[in-house]
Amino acid sequence: TRRSAPRPCTMLPLLLLLLAAAHGLQELSYEPTLTEHKMSGRITASTFVLEQPRCVFNNTTIETTTSIWLVVAEAAASVSFTNSVQPGLPQWAFQNFPTNTSAYLTLNATILNYPCPKNTPDITVLRVGSETSCAKNTAVPTCNGPLPGPGPYKVKFLALNGTEPVAETQWSKPITLRTAQQPPSSPGAGGKRSAEMIAITSILSILLAVLLAGLVATLAFSGSDPCGRGGIFKPEVASVRRYNTHHVYDQPAARL
Amino acid sequence: MAKTENGVRIFQGLLILGNVVIGMCGIALTAECIYFVSDPHGLYPLLEATENDDIYAAAWIGIFVGFALLALSILGIVGVIKSNRTLLLVYIILMLITFAFEMASCITAATHRDFLTPNLFLKQMLERYQKPEANNNNDKWMSEGVTKTWDKLMLQNQCCGVNGPSDWQEYTSTFRTTHSDADFPWPHNCCVLDSQGHPINLDGCKLGVPGFFKSNGCYAAISGPMNRQAWGVAWFGFAILCWTFFVLLGTMFYWSRIEY
Repeated sequence: TRRSAPRPCTMLPLLLLLLAAAHGLQELSYEPTLTEHKMSGRITASTFVLEQPRCVFNNTTIETTTSIWLVVAEAAASVSFTNSVQPGLPQWAFQNFPTNTSAYLTLNATILNYPCPKNTPDITVLRVGSETSCAKNTAVPTCNGPLPGPGPYKVKFLALNGTEPVAETQWSKPITLRTAQQPPSSPGAGGKRSAEMIAITSILSILLAVLLAGLVATLAFSGSDPCGRGGIFKPEVASVRRYNTHHVYDQPAARL
Repeated sequence: MAKTENGVRIFQGLLILGNVVIGMCGIALTAECIYFVSDPHGLYPLLEATENDDIYAAAWIGIFVGFALLALSILGIVGVIKSNRTLLLVYIILMLITFAFEMASCITAATHRDFLTPNLFLKQMLERYQKPEANNNNDKWMSEGVTKTWDKLMLQNQCCGVNGPSDWQEYTSTFRTTHSDADFPWPHNCCVLDSQGHPINLDGCKLGVPGFFKSNGCYAAISGPMNRQAWGVAWFGFAILCWTFFVLLGTMFYWSRIEY
């Protein structure tokens, strides 16, 4: 039997793995999180706000020229993401996300943008999805454009020296964005009847009914003889007040 | 005879006093309703757009009822002094008609006050604020009224949305169709503005950092004046009507006892 030399193509992945190990791709244990500050815009329908990765990257191994990228991927596709990426290529362009690509790179920064220590009074965050001007511009594939759907998404930070990955963080927990609902329907004509309204209506109805009954009674009994009923007005007293030259009251005048 | 005459005089005096009070209350009612109709807080466009502005109709009725009460009280005083049956009968009937109108005004104000819930204004704000095109002129007028009123409200009362700025995030709106969520999570009038009308920190406003945007809801600024108006018309009218009830009963009794 003849021994054949190992073929080069089976050697290549092995070689790459050795190379990666040799250059020390740092796997950091940091997990990107949403900002801890209380802000109402932490998660909106197309953006979310991350903590900056301060004091995460080791400034002895990461040079100031190394680019630290943010990788945004659909949560389900994050497992299939490999670090052999080249930012700027259409495969990792924001404009192709999520239809033609399952992840994109954006927010290019260097370690100088994330200085340590992080206890500054200013609010230092990363807003993912804030650039709307380049969202449709394929000339800017690393656009930090608004996210197209509610997700869920996972993110991680990747430090690249050119196209060579130098360090990466863990994937974050899945981030789901807000979905807006339909406006609530107004209560309509069958609104809650308050107690005050019922009180006003019922009492006023009773008063009006009593007044109408009183008017009817007064008109009906106006012809009856008040004599002997001990009413307030004696006939002569009322007549005296109403005495005028157009009407002659003989009897009351005689009584006086 | 003197005692009965005294009794009559006292009764007449009471009726005249009752009518004087009615007259003054009529003036007060007219003044109160004119104040409400003049809309000092500028909230009428919101009600107009809900197509449910009957608390303003109640205030309009109140103005005319107030005048009627004043005129009728003078008629009543003259009628009682002269003990004229015709005058007093006319007075009683017209007063009953006025009573019915004022009763309608009170009940309308109280009933339609119950429609003014946060959800009513929320739905209207989400549908009409900055609505670009309209179906007809009436629609356009209402949308412009709502937009101007909300802008004024947010500026003067330092508030945003009905319950808060989160209204713009939780619900879909006409505003959202023309303004992207990333640039306008809420309208820029929700940001704290400087004297020129520009946000002092637009990024802080978009992030929702307290201090750069207004986190209160505007519902208190809307419902406060409207409730005062509705209850003012309803309860003051109710009080006048209760007093008028007794005066009318007394006048009917007096009328029945006049001999002619």
